[in-house]
Formats: sequence, structure tokens, C-alpha cells
Amino acid sequence: MRIEDPIVKASAATNFFGGARARLRPHGLFLLAVGAPLMFFSAPARGQAAGTAPAPPAVVQKNARLVIGGETIKNNSEGTLSVVDSSLQFETGKAKIEVKASSILDISTNEDSRQDITGAAKIATIAIPYGGGRLLSLFSHNVDVLTVEFTDANGGYHGMVFLLTQSQAPPIKKQLVAMGAKASVPLAEPPPTNK
Amino acid sequence: MKHHTRGVVSVIFAVVLACALLLMVGPLLGQPGSGDSKSAQKFSASSIQIEPMDPSDVPMPPEFRVAIYEDLIAQIRKTGKFQHVYRSGDKEAASAPDLVTLRTTAQSFKKGSQKEREVVSVAGSSSIILKVHITDHAGRPLVDRDVEGKVRFFGENLRVTYDFSKKVAAIIRETF
Repeated sequence: MRIEDPIVKASAATNFFGGARARLRPHGLFLLAVGAPLMFFSAPARGQAAGTAPAPPAVVQKNARLVIGGETIKNNSEGTLSVVDSSLQFETGKAKIEVKASSILDISTNEDSRQDITGAAKIATIAIPYGGGRLLSLFSHNVDVLTVEFTDANGGYHGMVFLLTQSQAPPIKKQLVAMGAKASVPLAEPPPTNK
Repeated sequence: MKHHTRGVVSVIFAVVLACALLLMVGPLLGQPGSGDSKSAQKFSASSIQIEPMDPSDVPMPPEFRVAIYEDLIAQIRKTGKFQHVYRSGDKEAASAPDLVTLRTTAQSFKKGSQKEREVVSVAGSSSIILKVHITDHAGRPLVDRDVEGKVRFFGENLRVTYDFSKKVAAIIRETF
């Protein structure tokens, strides 16, 4: 629209001021030359606004732990959890799970705490005399728990539980909900910061 | 005198030994379930469908609900009693001829605290009690029991679902 305006004005001007026609023609040609490429640039931009929203940036969370629910991946495996191409992906070095956002029945986040010392080291702490092992149990860190309930191609119900570093679960939930995943509990908006 | 002392010691030893044996064997004899389980009727089914847990009015975090379900699937598969273990909503389950259905309903839940448990020992235990209900294809009840899962001393709170599922798997083994 913006491109056509000067030409319309130019032609209108020629009607009212016949003597000015010769002076305006080079201006009109100049504007046409400048405006033509703009016409092609503006078309895709308009198309984008009318169609689907631009894809949001992918959320990637490394060192996520799959606690339970990975059919092909062992429980308590560490890997990368990401939201790519409207699906939730969990990838370890050996295997990958992909869940379409549209198949997610419910997605919820929670907070919990995990001990800093786990596994074989945890068993070793039992041997520490004078209750030293118990003292070490006091050291823990907060984690986010992400629970995803979804259906497979046969309609079978599945569930997966992930442990993420603190405050990493809400962005994943937010993006999945934006992509069509259902959530029984809406994501709480962060409180406004007073500066 | 020395001979007399030796006699007393041997008598005391015999009494202590008898008491220890009684303590060990007594609870086993008194267990009502042990005799029942052997005489209980065994059912046969080639496939089972597991429904998600009904939380009822018991507040329970979603990760526990999901962990119960997934642990149940894994433990029941491990029993090897069924050719097919179907998830809830699986379309293929409809064609199974002798399908049994397992439902669980929450009775009580205590999340507990791993930190408390490991520091104090007597506090912070996690526990969950669910009603386990297994019905046959016609809807007749085969199993209707309360099962408790616990984490008393060591382990994460979510391990309570593993303990529960192991117990349900044991029920499956003695029923099918």
C-alpha cells in the first residue's frame, strides 16, 4: 500500500497540474524502482503474520535425569531434555525418546530436594564413625520435578518423571503448553519484581 | 561345686536357645496369610490391563501417581505371568479374550523426608496404602486387598512406589 501511494499522488498531480507532468515522471519512476523490491520483501512478512506464529526457540536442558517411564531408556539415566519441533525429546548417548506435544495429557512441575551424596558413595558414608554419615545426609540441593503423562500411538497411557536443576521445569512446561500439550494445573506466572 | 555351675550354665543355655527358636518360629506359625496363600485359588489369564491410580480424596503429587503406574507395569511384566501387559487405553486390549484388569485406589499417603529419615532414623518414613482391585473380563473380583509401600530408613521418597509394586507383583504371583 505504502508503495502505491506516491504513484497515485503523482498521477493525481498530473491531472490537476498538467505542466508538472514532465517533472513528476522521473520521481514516479524513481519511486517505482525503489518500491518494487520492497513489494517482494513485504509479501512474506504479511504472509507470516496471517499464518502460524513463528516457532519459539528450542528449550534445551542438559543433565536431566529420567527417573522413571522411559520404555527404551533405563530408569535414572542422565541425558538432554529438549523441546524441538513441537515435541519433547530426551536423549542419552545410546537412545532417544520423543513425545509429541499434542499427545501429552497432562504436564506438571513440582519442587523437591535431592541428597548431594548418592550411589556407592552414599553406602560408604555408613562406615563413617560417630554418625558422620548421618551428618552428610544434611547436604542436599533443590531440584525441579517434571511429570509428563501422554498416550502412545495405540492410545496406551504412559508417564515419565524427570529431575531437572532448579527452576528449569517451568520453561519446558510453558513451551509444551504453547505447542498444544494439556496441563490440568496452569503454569503460575512469576511474581513481578520490584526494583 | 564346679560340676554344679556347669549344669546351671547348660540349663540356662538350653532355655535361651528354646526362647530364641520360639521367637523365630512363632511369628511364622501365627501368620494368617501364609496358610491362605498356599490354599488360595489360582486363576489363569493371558493378559492384564493396568489402569492409572485413582487418587480418590488423597492428595498426592503427580510424580508419585506416575511412578506407581510405571513401576506396576514393570514389576508385573517381570512376573512373567501374562503374555500381554496392556496399558490403560490400549486399543489392542479390547481383543484380548481373557483380560483381567488391575485398578488401584489411594487410601493414604505420607510423603516423608529422606533427610529426616537418614539423620534421625525414627522419623521421616514414607508410606503409601492403596487398595488393589483385580477383576476378570466379566467384572468379577479376583483380588481386593490393601497393600502398603514403605521407605523406612534409606532411599528416596519415590522408592515407596517400587516397594508397593513389588508387593503387588507378589500378589500376582500367588493369584495367577
